[in-house]
Amino acid sequence: MTISNERIANSIVILCLATFVIWYALDAHNASSSLENMILILPVCAITLCLCLYDFFTSKDDNKKEKEKKESFSTVIPVMILFALYVITLEYLGFDLGTVLFLALFLFFHGETRWTWIIGYSIVFGFLIAFFFSMMLPYPMPMMVFPTDY
Amino acid sequence: MDLIDIPAAQAALTLLFSQPSYWLVVIPGIMIGLFFGATPGLQTSMAMAIFLPMTLYMDFLQAMLFLTAIFTGGGFGAGVPAILMNIPGTSSAIATAFDGYPMAKQGRHNEALGLALGSSTFGVFLGYILLFFLIKPMSLFVLKLGPSEMFIVILWGLTLIASLTGEHVIKGLIAGLFGLLIGTIGFSEAGVMRGTMGIEILADGIPVIPAMMGMFAASELFKLVKTEFLVEDESKRQVRISEIVQGFKKAFSYPVILIRGSIIGVLIGAVPGVGSSVSNLLSYIETKRRDKDPDSFGKGNPKGVVASEAANSTSEAGSMATLLALGIPGGGATAVMLAAFAMHNITGGPQFIREEMDIVYAIIFANFGQVFLLIILGLLLIPVLASIIKVKMTYLVPSVLVLAVCGSFGLTGNMSGPNTVLVFAIIGWLFRRYHFSVPAAVIGMLLGAMAESSLVQTLQISGGKFSYLFERPITLVILSLLLFSLFGSKLIQKFTQKK
Repeated sequence: MTISNERIANSIVILCLATFVIWYALDAHNASSSLENMILILPVCAITLCLCLYDFFTSKDDNKKEKEKKESFSTVIPVMILFALYVITLEYLGFDLGTVLFLALFLFFHGETRWTWIIGYSIVFGFLIAFFFSMMLPYPMPMMVFPTDY
Repeated sequence: MDLIDIPAAQAALTLLFSQPSYWLVVIPGIMIGLFFGATPGLQTSMAMAIFLPMTLYMDFLQAMLFLTAIFTGGGFGAGVPAILMNIPGTSSAIATAFDGYPMAKQGRHNEALGLALGSSTFGVFLGYILLFFLIKPMSLFVLKLGPSEMFIVILWGLTLIASLTGEHVIKGLIAGLFGLLIGTIGFSEAGVMRGTMGIEILADGIPVIPAMMGMFAASELFKLVKTEFLVEDESKRQVRISEIVQGFKKAFSYPVILIRGSIIGVLIGAVPGVGSSVSNLLSYIETKRRDKDPDSFGKGNPKGVVASEAANSTSEAGSMATLLALGIPGGGATAVMLAAFAMHNITGGPQFIREEMDIVYAIIFANFGQVFLLIILGLLLIPVLASIIKVKMTYLVPSVLVLAVCGSFGLTGNMSGPNTVLVFAIIGWLFRRYHFSVPAAVIGMLLGAMAESSLVQTLQISGGKFSYLFERPITLVILSLLLFSLFGSKLIQKFTQKK
């Protein structure tokens, strides 16, 4: 019997969820085993674990149609990495510069070949949105070009 | 008890039309509300807080008209990004995204926005009519609601998880329960910290709206990276005012859904701390459950948009009832209004209702006027907002991601917002890919903390005695309604089949 990659990935997701549930139940129990603390968490964790076990042993492969609908990892993972880099570096690059760089890189990697559009759009939209939020919000935002009290 | 104070109503009308300046603040108020509501991350309550100092230069009635106009505009505005970008800017527009966004993807964005405007304006109108007649009994009803009643209402909302599972029931339930657990992370009612991994910022729990933005919007955008446009068919990408007007009219072809949504909205909206976040879900679940074709929901059924928008906009009137009659703010927006009360040396509550009934009625009447202004302004602004559908995905995807990140920072005031969007975008994408229902997880997250808190309070008040529930008639009534809503139609069907 061969097990498809999709099914392995699905099982990994289920295992991750089950691990989180067990860890959370133990963490909550260690914090306090009182009825008030566990009244909702314990039954919900128990039911979720049972469902995870059931799914782990009974899940089937997707049918052909569902498989075709799925986007490939190679298109999504680079976007996720770029987005993660954007969020993680925001505190150091600021919302203004960080946003401009994120937009420019995204456009460049997704087939925009007109440099004027890449530079123009990322600068105008990036600075405008960062400046707008920094003006509207009652607390300081991390900024590089438009310095705030952050 | 007299439901209407006729002389006060006459005095209110005279007062309202004595000075045109009262109406001058309404149009800018609605526009501010629309703008803040339609921008993910900017909340109606935020707009009201920002513009609160301006009300110092207004008299009390004018200040209230200005703030309620922002409230009304924001209520509709929040549905716009939910439909066009799958970003429910507030928890009150979650159910709008369930069917609104699939409609937009099918090229029915004009109709969806028109439906949202029609149901929102109907909701506000009916809500304030109910408020006009029922402000006193409603305030008494709210006072009788305790944690056990709240728990049953939240339980009702949680039953939505089961109906949002789609084809993969077990995975849908796992997603909903996972969301429920995520919702309880942070300080518990018992005063202990759980699941924070020592991260102080999580003491208040996972920021739900940024998590929602990540799960709904960002994860969907990852999927759409290789798509050229949100709507593939070029002919369907047009913004047509005639279709928006048709959608607006179409909302009124579902009178039962509108009325049911409005009643749910006004009653649940009156409950402090619950309000429109739960009412839109309850209205959606009831509409889906009673429909002949429940499977069409979540795939672009216009009834889903109508149910959600009618309920969330009516909640405004419900929350105003508790504010005016009891002086209790039900949420952020009414809390700002309470601050406006204080700035004008006015205390809301029974005494205010007794002595200033003409002001209360004037606020209600002015909201009827606001409904018509919202229709006009909405119809003028929707075509501009709907043009987003024409933007290439290469530009739309990063721009919406940026909006979600900036908006989430606006909601939390620190980097926990953007970090939450990132983490939940990845979780949401994995959930979508492996058929775990994202809406079920989001509802679990939203209701988790509320459910735990009301359950613990019920336990404490009852002293652990189960019989306590049977001593509370309102709990039993709500519980019976819940059971009837779950099993009633099946029982009636069986009964009639036997006959």
